[in-house]
Amino acid sequence: MSPADPLHGLLAACAQRDRDAFSRLYQSTSAKLYGVAVRILRREDWAEEVLQECYVSIWTHAPEYRAALAAPMTWMTSIVRNRCLDWLRRPRPEVADEDGTVVESTESDNPGPLAELERAKDAQALARCLQGLEAKQRQAIALAFYDGLSHSELASHLREPLGTVKTWVRRGLLRLKSCLELQEQA
Amino acid sequence: MNYKNKPELHERLAAEYALGTLRGAARARFKRWMREDGSVARAVAEWESRLAPMASSVATRRPPARLWNEIEARLGPAASSRREFFWKGLGLVAGGAAAAVAVMTVLPLLQRPVAGYVALLSDPRTQKPVLMITARRNDSEMQIRTLDPAIQVADASLELWALPKGGKPRSLGLISDSDRPGFNRAVLRMDAVADRTLSDVPMLAVSLEPRGGSPTGAPTGPVLYSGPCVKDW
Repeated sequence: MSPADPLHGLLAACAQRDRDAFSRLYQSTSAKLYGVAVRILRREDWAEEVLQECYVSIWTHAPEYRAALAAPMTWMTSIVRNRCLDWLRRPRPEVADEDGTVVESTESDNPGPLAELERAKDAQALARCLQGLEAKQRQAIALAFYDGLSHSELASHLREPLGTVKTWVRRGLLRLKSCLELQEQA
Repeated sequence: MNYKNKPELHERLAAEYALGTLRGAARARFKRWMREDGSVARAVAEWESRLAPMASSVATRRPPARLWNEIEARLGPAASSRREFFWKGLGLVAGGAAAAVAVMTVLPLLQRPVAGYVALLSDPRTQKPVLMITARRNDSEMQIRTLDPAIQVADASLELWALPKGGKPRSLGLISDSDRPGFNRAVLRMDAVADRTLSDVPMLAVSLEPRGGSPTGAPTGPVLYSGPCVKDW
């Protein structure tokens, strides 16, 4: 978030069409963004295709990046997550994963990104606020964020009625917001 | 559905969009609304900032080396003169410094311009006017109206270019992309007021570009519409 974030400078240089800066931006962010995409899509070949689109889009839209609205990594992560969700929605014939690119599904209710979150120094306020949610709310939000599950997928995964799951998500998000606002004031 | 002026719904949809649970038609509708209404876009950006730190704990994974090569290939040559023949065709080839690319933001139409710049872009095949573009002298917003409802591009973007006298085409932004086909009004935000952006621009043109706009900063696709840009005062 801080202006000292080196990604700010790299994005600004990309906006000036600096290809070296773009290469450095790729080197410093692609492993994280690829991790995010593989986690949602669960197939490396899809993640590769989506990430290719995303970096082309990051290059194209770098002049539109506004530091006041979002930190560079937030901006890029949102591009990747949204593109992954669009990808999952696309109707496509299911192709067998003959080349073994399917990644084992990992569930957010097992020790995974959510458990790791407390160690990530940029995310401590968020980790604390997530801890303050009811377990069901936290689990639903984590599955939606990390694994890209929709409301109906959440309902079938958690074996709960759709309305119940929607309520968990909605209340969880509201509590998260007020908790983060309190943390900011403190 | 009319969900404007309902701040609670507005906030809930922004949160669910950022989390990713908003899907299907509701998601598509919300994306259009986000493009039209700056306050909705801001609410989404705030939610994305709240939730994005969750991604910091996702395990990193090194993508295969070929990925970078593929991305680089998509950007085309580093210099920006690819496919200049379209512009030679228009007799508009370039020299001189390219100005910064304008920022595109779609904002609600607030007011109709009075005195300023007017451009009428036609389709050279049919000779029919297709787009009317107006901007007030001291305003940095450009109003775009589609006169031909048939304008639609699938899986591509329409990019608007200023063709300055003796200069390279300058991107003014995207006026449509595959996410909002069939739009009939849009607003582009220029990076300076019209008097600075358009005073040396006798012509505007629209080219067909890959989704997200020209990857090179210069037009790469065919020119679909073009027309004079005149001062109206």
